[in-house]
Amino acid sequence: MGLLTNLRDSISRVTDGLFAADEPKRIGIYGPPNAGKTTLANRIARDWTGDAVGPESHIPHETRRARRKENVEIERNGRKVTIDIVDTPGVTTKVDYKEFLDHDMEKDDAVRRSREATEGVAEAMHWLREDVDGVIYVLDSTTDPFTQVNTMLIGIIESQDLPALILANKTDLEGSDVQQIANAFPQHETIPLSALEGDNMDEVYTKIAEYFG
Amino acid sequence: MPHQCTSCGRTFPDGSKEMLSGCPDCGGNKFQFKPAGATDDPGSGGETDGTPNSTAEPADRAQSTPGEERRSTPDDGTASAPTDEPASTSTDDPADRRSTDSAGATPADPGASAGASAEPDGTEQIADRSDEDTAQASARSEVVSPDELDRASRDVDAAETPPAESESQPGIDALRDELNDQFESIRIVSPGQYELNLMELYDRQEYIISLQEDGRYVIEMPDAWGIQDE
Repeated sequence: MGLLTNLRDSISRVTDGLFAADEPKRIGIYGPPNAGKTTLANRIARDWTGDAVGPESHIPHETRRARRKENVEIERNGRKVTIDIVDTPGVTTKVDYKEFLDHDMEKDDAVRRSREATEGVAEAMHWLREDVDGVIYVLDSTTDPFTQVNTMLIGIIESQDLPALILANKTDLEGSDVQQIANAFPQHETIPLSALEGDNMDEVYTKIAEYFG
Repeated sequence: MPHQCTSCGRTFPDGSKEMLSGCPDCGGNKFQFKPAGATDDPGSGGETDGTPNSTAEPADRAQSTPGEERRSTPDDGTASAPTDEPASTSTDDPADRRSTDSAGATPADPGASAGASAEPDGTEQIADRSDEDTAQASARSEVVSPDELDRASRDVDAAETPPAESESQPGIDALRDELNDQFESIRIVSPGQYELNLMELYDRQEYIISLQEDGRYVIEMPDAWGIQDE
């Protein structure tokens, strides 16, 4: 028995060395509404599994439930990293149904969307507390990153000692300012990308492997 | 009693800790929030009706002469007071009493009116009720982070009209602030409009899984089904 156990241990040690850790790390994709979290999650999932995670929309709070894509294997420099991606609802301190009325939505639908979005924020915060091993924080690089939500969430992530990668999304848009995001969070590395166009995804995957592998 | 268990109907005061681990009676985890301003208690109406009667009675006595009244009090005990007063005066000569006792009536009158002001138990109860309403109303309005307090109070101006009364109870205010800090993670400004306290949502173990209209909500407790006996 002892011999068998030793043999199994040594085999698992070898496989651990060759491949990623047995347990895939659960990486939460966080950020304010409409930053492109789902677009990024879909981009990663499509690139490595062929599936999508969820529907994308230009209307804020399209994602109102956390969605998970498990066992996404990312290969970088001959090394394989397996992660579970959790696409979370956009975090905000205020949800107002009137915001949705501009998008040709009936009032009843807007009120329901607003309620679901609020539940979604509660769920996202709960996941952050309990269930993630690392965070990809997505920001729209055309908007001001100095907000209460961003400061608070980054603060929570830092207090949890979670590895965090900050992505400056939407570089394909006019008015994109990556440096502004880098200045806002100088203690973290900021990676520019366009999840929609697939620009600079190579660097994103390299950093994911480096941070969460 | 703004929180009510939707399973067994048990009510909890605003800010109660009991319900945090589920309803102590039935174990239910679904509660309903009833705003205090909406309570139209028929009981309070009955008490207000009683108040004029009790104040009318001493008023009648004050009008009658004190000397005669003391003699007629045994009669008062047997029958209702307001009707007895005229009956007792009718036995004596009204003109005599008014002329002879008018001087003596003035010193005794304050005593009678003092008794009248000490009597109205009904009005005191009503005052208590309005205090409770104010406390609940402002407990619902004082929320979220300090920088948002201004806007929050403006949103519920109607519910906060008598702030002077709540200031008279600093202990309750302090307690309310403490409870708000503990509980207020999502504030429903109006249907479809919410304000969220992210730190509270992050800090609390309970997980809100469903918001419903009219202030109902469902929370999932960390050990929802392991409710301990008290």
